[in-house]
Amino acid sequence: MEKNIIIAGFGGQGILLTGTILANAFMLENKNVICCPCYGAEMRGGEVNCEVVVDDESEVCANKSEADIVIALNQLSFEKFITKLKKGGTIIANSSLVKMCKPRSDINYVFAMISEKAKELGDIKTTNMVSLGLLAQIEKLSLDTLQNAVKKVFASKSQKLLNLNFEALKIGSNCAYQS
Amino acid sequence: MEKVLLKGNYAIAKAAIKAGCSCYFGYPITPQTEIGEYLSEAMPALGRGYVCAESEVAAINMVMGAVATGVKAMTSSSSCAIGLMQETMSYAASDELPVVLISVMRAGPGLGYIYPAQGDYNQAVTGGGNGDYRTIVLSPSTVQDSIDLTYKAFYLAQKYRNPVILLSDGFLGQMMEPAVLHDYPYDEIDNSSWALTGAKDRGARQIRSLEVNQEKQNAHVYKLFEKYALIEKEEVSYEEENTLDADILLVAFGSMTRNIKAAARKLREKGLKVGTFRPVTLWPFPSKRLLELSETIKNILVVEMNMGQMTKDVKLAVNGNAKVYHFGRPTGKWVNVDEIVQATLNLGGVSYANI
Amino acid sequence: MQTFSIPKSLKENMIYTFCPGCDHGVAIRLIAELLDEFGLKENALTAASVGCSVFLYNFLDVDCVEAPHGRALACATGIKRAQPDKFVFTYQGDGDFASIGLAESTHAAARGEAITTICINNTLYGMTGGQLGPTTVLNQITTTSPHGRNREYHGFPLKMTEHIALCDGTAFAARVSLDSPAAIIKAKKAIKKAFEVQLKGLGFGFVEILSSCPTNWKMNPVESHKHIREELTKVYPLGTFKDLTEGL
Ligand SMILES: Cc1ncc(C[n+]2csc(CCOP(=O)(O)OP(=O)(O)O)c2C)c(N)n1
Repeated sequence: MEKNIIIAGFGGQGILLTGTILANAFMLENKNVICCPCYGAEMRGGEVNCEVVVDDESEVCANKSEADIVIALNQLSFEKFITKLKKGGTIIANSSLVKMCKPRSDINYVFAMISEKAKELGDIKTTNMVSLGLLAQIEKLSLDTLQNAVKKVFASKSQKLLNLNFEALKIGSNCAYQS
Repeated sequence: MEKVLLKGNYAIAKAAIKAGCSCYFGYPITPQTEIGEYLSEAMPALGRGYVCAESEVAAINMVMGAVATGVKAMTSSSSCAIGLMQETMSYAASDELPVVLISVMRAGPGLGYIYPAQGDYNQAVTGGGNGDYRTIVLSPSTVQDSIDLTYKAFYLAQKYRNPVILLSDGFLGQMMEPAVLHDYPYDEIDNSSWALTGAKDRGARQIRSLEVNQEKQNAHVYKLFEKYALIEKEEVSYEEENTLDADILLVAFGSMTRNIKAAARKLREKGLKVGTFRPVTLWPFPSKRLLELSETIKNILVVEMNMGQMTKDVKLAVNGNAKVYHFGRPTGKWVNVDEIVQATLNLGGVSYANI
Repeated sequence: MQTFSIPKSLKENMIYTFCPGCDHGVAIRLIAELLDEFGLKENALTAASVGCSVFLYNFLDVDCVEAPHGRALACATGIKRAQPDKFVFTYQGDGDFASIGLAESTHAAARGEAITTICINNTLYGMTGGQLGPTTVLNQITTTSPHGRNREYHGFPLKMTEHIALCDGTAFAARVSLDSPAAIIKAKKAIKKAFEVQLKGLGFGFVEILSSCPTNWKMNPVESHKHIREELTKVYPLGTFKDLTEGL
């Protein structure tokens, strides 16, 4: 089964990095995966998004029109991508920056204070990692694999930075949310 | 070897380095700029040549100069800017120079935009340059292909002394996918018989296309066409699935191949006998195989992000043996699997009584 | 009393598509003000170029044809030869004008085409994400000169205004900046002269504007203007390099 995950927010929130780590995690689990970052002048207004498509069996196909899961780290991306969700899909919203509201009744909502959690950890830049941990909690992804993916992507970075990101993943994976 | 998550454009750049590409010349244009950006760091570090050329006209002529000396060299660009290179592509074909050109399609005509599209099939396959000539055109559909076919582009260019185009698209160029960056698998070709190395202990060599003598000009083009015939005999490459019992054939090139395969799986679930076919070499085109397939498959749907450029070649190939339909659009939302399924179900002349 | 208003030559209520802190907005406004002052809006034709400057036609209420990258002055030459009574101008980036289009640019100046060109020099290819261009200064880091422009490897940058001033057909050539209110007033005077030489039939009018590109320079707008003032003007001195109206 194919699954399409969109991660969206504004520049500086580490959207593309998050997509890359998630795609690496799926790769480590030997799944077929592609990761499509937005590019070029699409990014000029400061909005960034990244689409990760994963399939257990077959080659992943190009440009899906509908998403199964959306991670929206700010208000604009919440509004933009909620319309792209399939019926029965899930939107994970960073309620630190996204107003709690439910414009659609045919999807699932996960609201969590993701940026708050990152701030509590001591670095707001880990917002993206906390959101990835939350995704792992909801989608039952292996935290170990995600950690290995972080290692792979951060190959040359310091152990301190790695630990910070591992911690953020863990916080996300235990983080309470409202649905 | 270990798989790594690689962006299509970087895969091409990394493969070019492993293939022994000595020089890169380029001018920025989205959606292929990452190739030049990556190589601007890597090439000087390896002591190889890199120039931020002042235009695509300059870039392709720099490539022509470099390869004339016997080294591997390439440039990369996109759509409208590939248009600027056509004069030199014709020269390179006539001069029999192993120019490698990476073309990452965006939307056209004109300036168009950076969205992915497949509208440069004609530009690559039939060429925009003057005179009777052919370029070999390779079409990747995955990031792994982008590596493998970059290798093949350098190899075939050397082997046949002919320009080769790797025709990727903005979708494939920008996306990341796991792939194995293995070593260059081909033998090196000896080019000591023609490369310009200085007229030491031999007469001077000329690589040129000016020919004032009509007889000689004729003979030259006939000789080129003997080579093209050989390439058509030896180098045709394609990929097909489930064609044995198929009633319907879905045909696509490049990254659209992924979608026809997924659509075919869905259609098989519905009980339709659907096969898929993908030309890997767009020239030489796998016409012979398509003609064979048309003996038993009477409905062919060609899916491409353009207004039917390859469809025309499929029609020529099957020569009236099968009905050939086109499905696609010039750009915008990439034709998705459900649309292909629906288009197939809507095909004229097929009975779906059992579905 | 003078009140602030939108020039008539500017379209109203357009969404501003330039990055925050970019000087294109000010430059386009100056052109619009001058089109108003000379009463040229309805008589003006422009050949748009390719680059961030392409958005000119989103803002200026002036007839326009979009030329391919680098060919704006060839296109404008065609317009001027077909319509000698029209006011013809181009608005180009430094990459468009001085790399891919250097041949077209030089020859339009050498022929002395009665055309006005405003060239935005942001020292790189802005639209495509900040690659090394013909005007990138030594040591400047871009996405294709990750360790800075190197004299031996990449060669020297090109000085457009000095180069254009050398062409016999050039009637006016100046380099200005927009980094302060005073600089903006000077810039407007220079552009005005470049308009006048065309209107008087004296030849080619050229103004190079040193412009900020905070996004690709990875600086904030204030730092960007400081960079222009303190660094770029060392390589690209401001001033008038040729002026045939002098003594007229
Ligand atoms: C023939 C061709 N080559 C490349 C491009 C891609 N391209 C679009 S804008 C641009 C750079 C423009 O740079 P510059 O002229 O300096 O203007 P800026 O964007 O910095 O204002 C390039 C290379 C193109 N559109 N056409």
